[in-house]
Amino acid sequence: MRNAHVLIRSFTILTLAVLLPGLVLAAEPKRGGTLRVAYGNKVSHLDFHTAPGYEMMWVAMNIGCGLVNITPDGQFVGDAATAWKLSDDALTWTFKLRDDAFFHDNTQVDAEAVKFSIDRIMDPETKSGMRRFYESVQSVEVVDPLTVKVHMKQPYAFFLHMLAGYRTGLVLYSPAATQAHSLKARKRGDPSAVIGCGPFRLVEWVPNNHLVMDRWEKYFKPGQPYVDRVLIRVIRDPIAQMVAFKTGEIDFIASFSPEHVQTIQAQVPEAQVLTGPETTPMVLRGKVTVPCDGKPDASMTNPRCPHPIFGDIRTRKALLCYGIDREEIVKVALRGLATPWVGMIPPGTMDTVDVNYMCPYDPDKAKTLLEELGYGPDNPLVTELTTDTEKAVFNAIATVVKDQLARLGVTVNIKLVDKVTWMNTGLKDGPWDMDVEDLLSLLTLDSNAYLTVTQSTWNQTRQTDVTVDEYFARYATEMDADKRRAIAKEFQEFMADKLYWNVVSGSPFFQIAQPWMKGYTFNSEFEVHYETVWLDR
Amino acid sequence: MKLQVLNGATNGSAATAVIEPEAPVGRAGVPSESLLAQTARRLKRSYTALFGLGIVVLLVLVAIFADVLAPYDPVVNSMNEMFQAPNRTHWLGTDQFGRDMLSRIIHGSRVSLAVGLSSVLLAIFVGVPLGIIGGFYGGKADTLIMRAMDLILAFPVFLLAIIIMIMFTPTAGLLGAMKVIMAIGIVRIPIYARLVRGSVLSIKEKEYVEACHALGQHDPKILLRHILPNCMAPIIVTGTLSIATAIIVEASLSFLGLGTQPPTPSWGWDLKANVAWIQQTPWLALGPGFAIFITVLGFNLFGDGLRDALDPRLK
Amino acid sequence: MREYIIRRLLQVIPTVLLITLVVFAMMQAIPGDPLMALLGDAYDEEDAQLLRQEYGLDKPIISQYFIWLGKLVQGDWGESFISGRPVLQDVLIRLPVTAELIVLAMLVALLIAIPAGTIAALRQNTWGDYTAMSTALMGISIPDFFLGILLLLVFSVSFNGLLPSSGWVYLPGTCPSLICEASVWGNLKHVMMPAIALGVGRAAILTRLLRASLLEIIRMEYVTTARAKGLTEKLVILKHALKNALIPTVTIMGLQVGFMIGGAIVVETLFAIPGLGTYGINAIILRDYQQVQGFILLVAVCFVVVNVWVDLTYSLLDPRIRYNA
Repeated sequence: MRNAHVLIRSFTILTLAVLLPGLVLAAEPKRGGTLRVAYGNKVSHLDFHTAPGYEMMWVAMNIGCGLVNITPDGQFVGDAATAWKLSDDALTWTFKLRDDAFFHDNTQVDAEAVKFSIDRIMDPETKSGMRRFYESVQSVEVVDPLTVKVHMKQPYAFFLHMLAGYRTGLVLYSPAATQAHSLKARKRGDPSAVIGCGPFRLVEWVPNNHLVMDRWEKYFKPGQPYVDRVLIRVIRDPIAQMVAFKTGEIDFIASFSPEHVQTIQAQVPEAQVLTGPETTPMVLRGKVTVPCDGKPDASMTNPRCPHPIFGDIRTRKALLCYGIDREEIVKVALRGLATPWVGMIPPGTMDTVDVNYMCPYDPDKAKTLLEELGYGPDNPLVTELTTDTEKAVFNAIATVVKDQLARLGVTVNIKLVDKVTWMNTGLKDGPWDMDVEDLLSLLTLDSNAYLTVTQSTWNQTRQTDVTVDEYFARYATEMDADKRRAIAKEFQEFMADKLYWNVVSGSPFFQIAQPWMKGYTFNSEFEVHYETVWLDR
Repeated sequence: MKLQVLNGATNGSAATAVIEPEAPVGRAGVPSESLLAQTARRLKRSYTALFGLGIVVLLVLVAIFADVLAPYDPVVNSMNEMFQAPNRTHWLGTDQFGRDMLSRIIHGSRVSLAVGLSSVLLAIFVGVPLGIIGGFYGGKADTLIMRAMDLILAFPVFLLAIIIMIMFTPTAGLLGAMKVIMAIGIVRIPIYARLVRGSVLSIKEKEYVEACHALGQHDPKILLRHILPNCMAPIIVTGTLSIATAIIVEASLSFLGLGTQPPTPSWGWDLKANVAWIQQTPWLALGPGFAIFITVLGFNLFGDGLRDALDPRLK
Repeated sequence: MREYIIRRLLQVIPTVLLITLVVFAMMQAIPGDPLMALLGDAYDEEDAQLLRQEYGLDKPIISQYFIWLGKLVQGDWGESFISGRPVLQDVLIRLPVTAELIVLAMLVALLIAIPAGTIAALRQNTWGDYTAMSTALMGISIPDFFLGILLLLVFSVSFNGLLPSSGWVYLPGTCPSLICEASVWGNLKHVMMPAIALGVGRAAILTRLLRASLLEIIRMEYVTTARAKGLTEKLVILKHALKNALIPTVTIMGLQVGFMIGGAIVVETLFAIPGLGTYGINAIILRDYQQVQGFILLVAVCFVVVNVWVDLTYSLLDPRIRYNA
């Protein structure tokens, strides 16, 4: 653990050491060139309000602009908005827009466009994955072409966070272009249909292969973007990414597999390795309830019964809390590059607290609990651990967990499935005992809500404790930062005690840049922007 | 005949051409020496076949006595011995979890051999009766069976196996291996059905079968006593060579993540998993790769030898 | 004979349709909802329900199939659920890549098989023959992805990126998009290792076959006659025997196409080539039914047509085959 921390810290220092001169030099960035980026996964489609996946988000952020962005230290900076204000009753947000922002179809970014975009996301017909974050929004009002007001149903402390960095953040769409083209045209990436106001405009997208964006001449930040073109290539395999990087075929790997970071450092010592505190949780969960009648029921309208194994909190404590050695998991499966963690939100997420003391590795205690439950040599506990093949590290963690639980006399059968099957099991209330995944990066504790509240489709453990819902509601509506922090602490302790959601560590995020790539600001998975990047070669 | 055997040895995506089998017919009436003795005598003369047989026997022994032979438990992790280069205690090094690679390869032979043998047996047990029924009774049953076989053959075999495996959902352990056996077995049924049907068709015309009919022998008796022994030779040859193919298909499925799932040791999966570390520890991927290669080579050598021994004209 | 050919070709249609129906049914039997892949982290049961209706996924399988078929008759191959892109366009972009890979793999196979098979036959039961034959047997026994890995290890890892380990450079003029690298040399560098990986196994089969055919023909009388005319032995072999032996060899190669489509899936995956194989396997894994249908349709048509062609060639060569089968 100490080693992990030292390593993380040295990476952070390295990151800063690399970035700071970059920022200083950014005073005279060079114009021109093509930034060649490798994405490890494909972009599923290009309707930014509905498409899933990080890769899509990292395209959306560069083609689209929003109202605000968030910096690595949590400050908000204007994007299309120049100023914003919250009313004293915390129910009205007023945004002032800049007058020099244009969509790629040359129409102006105005209050109408903001209203159009938010209304579109909130419309159930759109089926936007962002809709759930707009539940506190009452309506959007156009005051004048450059002023827009958002009326809230109730105070929402994380409205700006949400606009800046939940999933894509708010991506503004040109009303004219959006109405003129079909959804299909936008999904399949017809350049005339995908019209944003960001620094780059879409030129071409070939699914599973590449995406090209060119510099938008009328972008509102003076001089930016610096590069003429961004070419994104899909290279799935980390080895292939490494080879392409080594031969200089690509300038930037947007997301690099942690297991291979040490290799790429050895192979290309001059590479910039960018990382920071983990903002994604690596979870090992146990299913809490099952439908009493055995019929899967994702909406949880029918009666729920405790899961035969993990429904009892003592089993959860024994296996998920005391029975697993988080440090060993990190050392073996994550090659020491993550922080062993118990709290429900990872070390890099806002208002996180270290509750590792609540779940120390204590196999004796775990054994005692298991004996109490009647498990033992005569009645061995046999359980299944489901995980998916999206990342090799999931299976690696599962393999280590299996071994650790075997020391308690528990037999774990690993079930490795593809991502769709895993989602299907979890989201449709299918039968499973334990799973390993890293889900989504969390900017705030609030952005975890839809993964945990009782009535959410994504409440895969199907926990039914409404206290969780209350905590989330209190946290999201509390406008005082100190009080919020206190709620967050209490909540994280509560979850570490109840184990409705269990974390083993953070899931580290690495980006790799060539030495000549300058001006990029690392901000985890939340903000991946290329307009400040320039090539020093 | 050549056409089918050749395809049996490689992929089974045989032509839709119907080629009259000629081999077994000629010998049918003159059983001077038992098939077994004849085969053994001829096999003994072929060093390559004996070499292949040697490999196969050795592998079978390794698979049976894996528990005794393997120096370590193939699935127990050893967190302090990760990624060791080959050394005195771990001859082939250790993997990401500190598992002994040699032990994993020794245990991996079980999955490969089990899948190879069982899938071929499955294909034979389903394909042969279908071929006999089709050939012997003809008519609607024949048309139906042969259309179904054509349908399977009209697919690239491997593609069909992939779809079947995704449908079954790959899992670990015995059940996982059984799913792979099913997938590979199903796609190879037509080879035997066609082979046997062809033989049956030509034997059926033989006078002695008609004579049997005249003597009032019942159909099943004729089938078992006269027809089956006559198509044994091509079945055995094709079967042996098919084991080699089945092992390759199993490894390819595992390589795509659609075979037996970990932690059950499987050569294909170990190869896939360790390719990720090929830059630092290439030996981890090479071990299982060569294990597949040698096993397949063994079955091919033996199968070739058997073919020469059972029917020189097939060469 | 002509009647037979026409009948065989007509038989292709129901076979292909039946294949697509079977695959359609199998895909639906695969556990997992295509909307999971579509919505991903944005998945919501209500949205999924709406989309299911929109895409007609709530209808019975058979009517979904006939809707697909109805569109197909009008030349509409459907659109991917996930990317919204027309399936026909996407498979046509990918077909040339896989076709090139397969053609070059065959070329590799022939370049190895013809000399090796000829030498083995000419020098029957000598060390040359034994060497060629044992090499061929090894070629048959090595899985193509393992050979690919060995090549990767040597040419990409050891020789420091001498050959690219992944991706694709199109041939000039075949670039399917606005922006893509296109050069003959680049294309060759990318296709070399995959083509060898896919071709060596085929080379081994052809070598064995060619040797057997040559031996058979050499024993035949007319070669002796030709020799009597005073031609050198070499010319006899090349002119007569090889020419005749190549016919069945090439025919068998046609049969190998099906296998190579399967092999292409693995090899394309290993080398991350944007061909039909990777398209198909991705579509299957993501349950993108429309893409799977398009992929299977194309593969089945190619495969069945090749089979019929082989069948016809064979029946021309081998009078024992009955046309009325």
